[in-house]
Amino acid sequence: MVATSHDVMPDIELYQPTDEANALALAGTLGRDGWLLGGGQDTFGWLKDRNKTPAAMIELTQIDAWKGIKEIADGIEIGAVTTLTEIANNPLVQSRYGLLAQAAGHVASPQIRNVGTLGGNLVQDARCWYYRRGLDCYRAGGNICYADSPQGLNREHAIFGASRCVAVSPSDTAPALVALEATMVVQSESGQRLIPAQDFFVGPARDIVNMTVLNAGEILTAIRIPNTWANAEFYFEKVADRNVWDFALVSVAAVMKVSGGVIEDARIACGAVECVPRRLEAVENALRGQQRSEQLANQAAAIASEGARPLNYNHFKVPLMENLVKRAVRGQA
Amino acid sequence: MGEIVRYKRDVWGEDVILGVSWDLLWVVAVAVLILLAAHAIVMAALANKKMDIPSAEGRRVLRHESIDRLFHWVMAASIFALIITGIAPILGWGWAWLDMHWIAGLLLTFVVIFHIIRSLFWQDFKSMILGPRDFGEPFDSAKKPGKYSFEQKGMHWAVTIVVLAVVVTGILLFMQIDTPFWDRTNSMAESQLGLMFLLHGLATLALIALVATHIYFALRPEKMFYTRSMLTGWISEDEMSANHDPSRWSPKEAD
Amino acid sequence: MAYMHIGKDFVPQDVPGKVTGRIKYSEDYARDGMVYARLLTSPIPHARVVNIDASAALAMEGVFGILTADDVYPDGEPDGTGLKILTNEPTLVGEPILALAAVDEKTAETALEAIIVTFERLPFVMDPVDSLAPGGPDAYTGGNTFVFREGFKSEKWTADQVAAFRAGSEPTAEPQQQFAYGELEAAFASSAYIYEGSFATAGYPHHSMEPRSAFAYWENGKLYLHGTSQSLTALAADMAGIVGVPIEDLVFINEATGGGFGQRARAGSIPSMAIPAKLSQKINRPVMMRVTREEEFTIGGARQGFQGWIKCGFKADGVMAAADMWILSDNGGKGGGGDAFSAADCISILYQAEAMRFRGTSIGSNTAHRGAQRGPGQNQIAPIIAPILDKAAAELGLDRLAIRMLNMPKNGDVGGPQRQPLTSAYMPEALNMGATMFNYPERITRSRQRKGSKVTGIGVGEGYHNAGRSGMDGIVRLMPDGRLAVHNGVGNLGTYSYASTSRAAAEVLQMPWERVDVISGRTDRHLPITSPQDGSNSIFTNTRTNWGAAQDLLVKMKEIAAMDLGGTPADYSVGDERIFKTADTTSGMTFAEIGQRGLQLGGKFTGEAEVPEDLNDFTKLSVSRLAGSALMGIFHDPRHNNNPPGFTATFIEIELDTETGKFDIIELVTIGECGTVVHPQGLKNQLVGGAVWGIGLSALEQHLYDPQNGLPASTGYWQSKVPTILDTPSKIQTGWVDLPDPENPVGARGIGEPSMGAVSAALTAAISDALDGHVFNAAPITADMILNHLAGITTDAVPLAQNNYRG
Repeated sequence: MVATSHDVMPDIELYQPTDEANALALAGTLGRDGWLLGGGQDTFGWLKDRNKTPAAMIELTQIDAWKGIKEIADGIEIGAVTTLTEIANNPLVQSRYGLLAQAAGHVASPQIRNVGTLGGNLVQDARCWYYRRGLDCYRAGGNICYADSPQGLNREHAIFGASRCVAVSPSDTAPALVALEATMVVQSESGQRLIPAQDFFVGPARDIVNMTVLNAGEILTAIRIPNTWANAEFYFEKVADRNVWDFALVSVAAVMKVSGGVIEDARIACGAVECVPRRLEAVENALRGQQRSEQLANQAAAIASEGARPLNYNHFKVPLMENLVKRAVRGQA
Repeated sequence: MGEIVRYKRDVWGEDVILGVSWDLLWVVAVAVLILLAAHAIVMAALANKKMDIPSAEGRRVLRHESIDRLFHWVMAASIFALIITGIAPILGWGWAWLDMHWIAGLLLTFVVIFHIIRSLFWQDFKSMILGPRDFGEPFDSAKKPGKYSFEQKGMHWAVTIVVLAVVVTGILLFMQIDTPFWDRTNSMAESQLGLMFLLHGLATLALIALVATHIYFALRPEKMFYTRSMLTGWISEDEMSANHDPSRWSPKEAD
Repeated sequence: MAYMHIGKDFVPQDVPGKVTGRIKYSEDYARDGMVYARLLTSPIPHARVVNIDASAALAMEGVFGILTADDVYPDGEPDGTGLKILTNEPTLVGEPILALAAVDEKTAETALEAIIVTFERLPFVMDPVDSLAPGGPDAYTGGNTFVFREGFKSEKWTADQVAAFRAGSEPTAEPQQQFAYGELEAAFASSAYIYEGSFATAGYPHHSMEPRSAFAYWENGKLYLHGTSQSLTALAADMAGIVGVPIEDLVFINEATGGGFGQRARAGSIPSMAIPAKLSQKINRPVMMRVTREEEFTIGGARQGFQGWIKCGFKADGVMAAADMWILSDNGGKGGGGDAFSAADCISILYQAEAMRFRGTSIGSNTAHRGAQRGPGQNQIAPIIAPILDKAAAELGLDRLAIRMLNMPKNGDVGGPQRQPLTSAYMPEALNMGATMFNYPERITRSRQRKGSKVTGIGVGEGYHNAGRSGMDGIVRLMPDGRLAVHNGVGNLGTYSYASTSRAAAEVLQMPWERVDVISGRTDRHLPITSPQDGSNSIFTNTRTNWGAAQDLLVKMKEIAAMDLGGTPADYSVGDERIFKTADTTSGMTFAEIGQRGLQLGGKFTGEAEVPEDLNDFTKLSVSRLAGSALMGIFHDPRHNNNPPGFTATFIEIELDTETGKFDIIELVTIGECGTVVHPQGLKNQLVGGAVWGIGLSALEQHLYDPQNGLPASTGYWQSKVPTILDTPSKIQTGWVDLPDPENPVGARGIGEPSMGAVSAALTAAISDALDGHVFNAAPITADMILNHLAGITTDAVPLAQNNYRG
């Protein structure tokens, strides 16, 4: 066998375009050979361990057009290359879309948020440790899953939607944007696609090697959040092993329009229970038009976990998910 | 052109087979297209020489019973479904293909087993056996076949081998994933797993080539009556005497 | 006792360098012609190297050579489970097989990718119990355990014995090790409450922040080795043997080290430092070997994990009558340790059980190299025993602090199988001080109180470790300018004990601290031997040596004064940097004058004659190199009596959220009992640092291996779940008893290890308390375990044991 290499960054071709057209042209030309680089917090681990070996990187952090937060006709638009810290601290986001501010503010650690981008957080790759170790599993183009075996260490893995691969979506901002009914703006040399947040992520049944529907040559350039849920009641909670740096064991992002104790409408999504942010439509339907109560919260919890299929070590995610949904229905204390 | 076999590293860093290289899909597609197109062109050039298509009118003889025709079309449909669902992820079509694939696979397995038993005990098995006489048949227009011609027998056995290969490997692969019946065990060595994927892939490529060929010939004007017989069950006496030796095959009259 | 230095804070001389970043660790050195080494490590948990084809790599531009196990061990690899420098039979994933030197690390890594190693795969095992099963795989070739002086053995239990152990019953197999004292049967018979249960504790890595990088070059036949170590002279003395160079020809340089925790104190724990030494020798170039985080995880050591069974009997009044323990230790792929014995020893000391029995067996697994880690054994058992004490208290209707005070060690008590007396023990003061600071009487009323989904838990914990050794050497010099040079062989692992122990010498001479130079950091400064800087011993051991050396110097100084000014040495006193007649203070000599005189006189005054016979050879070499340079004090410390303990008592209040399994630490009070406090800031660092790690042991840290393929999952800080700043309380309250111990000249004892065990004990007890006294019998207890417990998930939800075997 040939040595497996860890911990030394290889040589790599680095492109640093300063305008959109150049970036899109590069992405178009390089396709899957051109690794899109934001803050690098997902990238550098792969490169250093030499578990992914792209020929080139296209760094997007110098493209001002894809940074910043601005008001648009029906809401706000956030450049995908905006840092998470900027989003968490932005007055507009805090006042109208506090759910996203909270989610962004819970990602990883302050150091990572200072350079990590929203786009990067959304398109980040799975964190299954077998996959990250560089093993040739399904997600890496191989033909096996090491996590989903009788003794696999799958404590952090999925309880829904497994199809050979059992990795989960690790993003904290993704469930928030699904709940806010955001739209992803995707650009390529051939034009622009607008994709609803919920449809942006893809599970292994449909695509086992990618976490999003981005095609080769496409770049996520902006995220638009409509006014629909502006100033609604928000609930975000992330439960992780440690209080910083860790990915969620389970997270919940909820938006609700409540009037006189009655939940008029709601959107709820959970993170880290499936390979995509899991929108809980059945729960939303059960809440609509109902009086908020502990009993309603319990009902919602039971609906939320229906169909869960735990693996070896992630049974705890079922009660945890139920409890978080319960807390979301209860709202802020 | 690329490679034939793809490799990966097993869990301990050793190189093992991953599966067939899907570059070969294009090779097979192109090869089949070229070969079948060449056949069509050659046949068209020879058209004025020979093609006297016998009449479909008149008395009818039974070629395929309804149960066998059902078997054939169910098998065809399941193979079609298997090929489409199997190729979908390779071509990047983003739909959930896996469940449909193994369900079609189980269906195919079931009908294949059915057919094996039926053909061994309820049908004239000998009529499908290839013998030395069959190999001389294409070169001697005086030699007419029994129920099945050399080409038909050849296609049958080629498909048999390939379908058995794809089904057996498919079942072994099916046993490696989570299903409603069992949870995966990862007990098959990765080298063996890769070999199963390779054989399954090669068998798939062969099957695609055979299916394309089979459909082509099934749609040829001079063979079309066979296709009709797989739908309706009968061929005409004219068609029978033009293409078969009655001393080798004497079907009963069709209803 | 009013001291000039002892008990006062000061700025150790390495602090400015650390704050400004100018201090040098082994990675910070460079030399002309330096090349970089990278390691090729095993991808397989157990294998034999059949062939190494490095031809393509060696032909690459910028590659200078490789070093293999055959190079290092021409007569064959040593027999045993000790860490090898390099090996052709790896017994864990990540074990180094060869090293390659190249012009830079990128080239080295690329060259490594071109090396083809052919392995023969061998059976591997992740769980020692699987190895004990009949037909179970053995971690090593030749067996699953190594018996001292006998060799490898393959120890097997019967299938029934294995099943019974897994079911939680008392093991019936013959143990490898045991001790007992008292009347066990009678003690259990007299018990009003008996607790019996099995337990499992994690064996997780040391995670030293500085990886064990090393830099080596040879010059004029001498090896200059820039390394990383907890110890200085203690490690250098043995490192020479590992490299195969005479001690006179080794210069070991180590100004500062970023963590060690037990696996960087002795040369046998860090043979990897021989790699750049030997590679440098082979290719005749300076070699820098920078070790990565993942490599540090693998060869940097881990705690021995325990799977055990415990039975404790308590009398009606709460006295611990009997303790019976059977512990199966995980020896890992390399190394091992006596943790289980120490765990039992700790119970006997902290709880003074009237009768005790310990039985233990160590079995290997193809997982991390194991060795002593901060409180080895004592700290594994700490979180196990604490909830048991609370359960006993509850059953007997006693307060949980009261049951501890009933059993705690006091002055005059003995401990361990040898019933060795403690030199002193002020646990009553420690517990009382802690209870007062914590306001225990008020907080305990909040135990199990609910506030929404949150519930309060209160925990009390105790920690112990033996905290002092003796028999080492000291060297001090009075320079002609009147400054005191304290030659200290203590390593600088970040505890500042190299400096704080030197204060004892300054104290003897009443020397202002700014007039003292601590000579340390590299062995060519000619230093005395010390005991390795592990086991919380340094403050005790080396205040004895430095005090003794300074006393020897003082005697000589008084002799010189008497010689020149008349009278006898007994007529003289020391103060204000002078030796003066006690009766007539105007008659005296300054330190500078005496220093110059001593240099003039030579002979015994300057280490050229009458050097103590019983000095260690290493010290003799240093003395011989210093001889004639200045007036010297030279001392060989005789043995002390009895067992100097280090104790800690901790009180914790937590709020546990039953809906998320997470908890907040509301208050943490931790009290150190370590004799006289020499360096308050240093002690506080130990108490706080130990607290952080205790939190990790009890609630967070993981050590995971996939059982089907033996791959390590937690090879970095992130997956290992080391506590972060937001997982620890923003304020950790500390205090100390500060009463002197009779076996030390200033009354000092050590504290580094019990400061961790006590917190782990308290936190685990608090978590248990919050869950109505539910005993998990495991460490750590993580959110998922808590959630499973609260949701009643038991059957197929095997909690992911935070260690490499199924819990």
